[in-house]
Amino acid sequence: MRIISVKNVNKAFGGVHAVCGLSFEVEEGVCFGLLGPNGAGKTTMMKMIYGRSSRDLRDGGEIRVFDYDPAHDELSIKYLSGVVPQENNLDDELNVFQNLIIYSKFYGLSGSVARERIQGLLEFLELSEKAEARIRELSGGMQRRLVIARALLNNPRLLILDEPTTGLDPQVRHLIWDKLRQLRAQGTTILLTTHYMEEAFQICDTILIMDKGRKVQEDNPRDLLRENIEAYVLEVPIANGAPAIQESGLPAGVRLDHAEGTQRFYAQDIDRLKSIVDKLSGNQYYIRQSTLEDVFLKATGRALNEKQ
Amino acid sequence: MKSSNPAMYPPLSQRLFSVWYRHMRVYTKNLLSNGLPPFLEPLLFLMGVGLGLGKYINETWDGMPYIDFLGTGLLVTAAMFTAAYECTFGTFIRLEFEKVYDGMLAAPITVNNLIVGEILWAGTKGLFFTFAVMCVLMAFGIIRMPAGLLTPFVGFLTGMMFATLSLWVTSFVKTINHFNFYLTGIISPMFFFSGVVFPVSDLPQNIRFVAEIMPLTHAVRLSRAVCASHYTPVLLGSVAYIAIFTAITGFLAIQRLKRRLVR
Repeated sequence: MRIISVKNVNKAFGGVHAVCGLSFEVEEGVCFGLLGPNGAGKTTMMKMIYGRSSRDLRDGGEIRVFDYDPAHDELSIKYLSGVVPQENNLDDELNVFQNLIIYSKFYGLSGSVARERIQGLLEFLELSEKAEARIRELSGGMQRRLVIARALLNNPRLLILDEPTTGLDPQVRHLIWDKLRQLRAQGTTILLTTHYMEEAFQICDTILIMDKGRKVQEDNPRDLLRENIEAYVLEVPIANGAPAIQESGLPAGVRLDHAEGTQRFYAQDIDRLKSIVDKLSGNQYYIRQSTLEDVFLKATGRALNEKQ
Repeated sequence: MKSSNPAMYPPLSQRLFSVWYRHMRVYTKNLLSNGLPPFLEPLLFLMGVGLGLGKYINETWDGMPYIDFLGTGLLVTAAMFTAAYECTFGTFIRLEFEKVYDGMLAAPITVNNLIVGEILWAGTKGLFFTFAVMCVLMAFGIIRMPAGLLTPFVGFLTGMMFATLSLWVTSFVKTINHFNFYLTGIISPMFFFSGVVFPVSDLPQNIRFVAEIMPLTHAVRLSRAVCASHYTPVLLGSVAYIAIFTAITGFLAIQRLKRRLVR
């Protein structure tokens, strides 16, 4: 079943086009990632899906979520979905348990059902011991997990997360990824935004790379890697302002990418990179497999935009 | 395109209640620091101004001693102030700093539900603050029971009226300091010129209509009538004023805040 269908959607704020003609579809049980630099339009796209932002109607774009149009049936969509906003907005005055209780009212859960569900969710997100803790006593990672627990209160069929692990330490990130994988295995559809390539690679079935409001690439992570970037990278720092290797002397099948401070050589065949290394006299170098980050930078460019 | 049947999301009453419930839980979390001042303030005011200053005032005001006159006015100014603060600073902080609304609007409620819930909550605070003044007035023997038991309902209406006005003001405000213009420029003058500390009839003839435009004047008139159980046809005008004023400012507030919350 198709959970989300977005067709030719546009959104402008004043003269700024946050989202331009974007289309994609998300099938049930899939983890779908919107990936892009800050200001690419990821959050705007996400907010349009649950009715928090309104798409521009004059261009005839269409959004269907569970076959509802967020412009008319936002309540139905929000009842079936859980949303984790970019910023943790917990109520500092209340403790962990109370934070969840007040949200259970929004879904019309009765007291006993709510208490039981909250207990289960705190257990699932490994927060049971903190049920009585004040919000200020929680680490950033615990607060994030609590916001995720809050989004799961109504057993959502669609979980929407805006940068779920930004600013968290590696342990917590891995824990959250693990929980998201478990949810997906139970059939929950997940839509997330991120600018961490690793996050997208770890948990997403499909990645849509966005830049300046437009779709740049869309595919599953492995194919994105295989089809859009060479398999290996050689990184050579530029010492004393002079590049160690001149572009003219490169072997065939090697692509050079200039960045400030580093030369990156991409090639399908690792031996060609090694032949470059042989010419280096005492320079530091690093050969690695390409990652989604290389695809991302190739697709969206290295230059910073005004929002970064 | 044809829409599917709506999901079984909670009915309107439950959605409004859940907004109200959130505010109630957060407010009552600090019961002592939030719940004591509403009783202390009118106590201090009546002792300082009513007893102290009132000693020098020998004439009766609208047929009652000065402390009674002042006290029956304070019943609704308490509701005015709490609703005005709740829906200016309180709303603005939830909107801009704590991002509370981002979380609430991700749950199955609409922006309209959210704002009407705020208004109902401010009305409830008005009810409670008027109730607190009522208790103090009772202790001073100023207010008669059971007629006085109706005053918290006047407080509820007053709270709602100032909630809608304040939310409308908040919809224009970009930085929190701008509220000073509203609170010192509009709310405080209303306290002095709406028949709370002296009767509106003592105002010069040619500016008396200004007092009649002020929403607080009508709340005070209603409060005094309820306290005295003395109902006149003029009150119908005040009740109508409160209803229409609340409806219009409420409509404007919702329209403008909606544009700010759903962009």
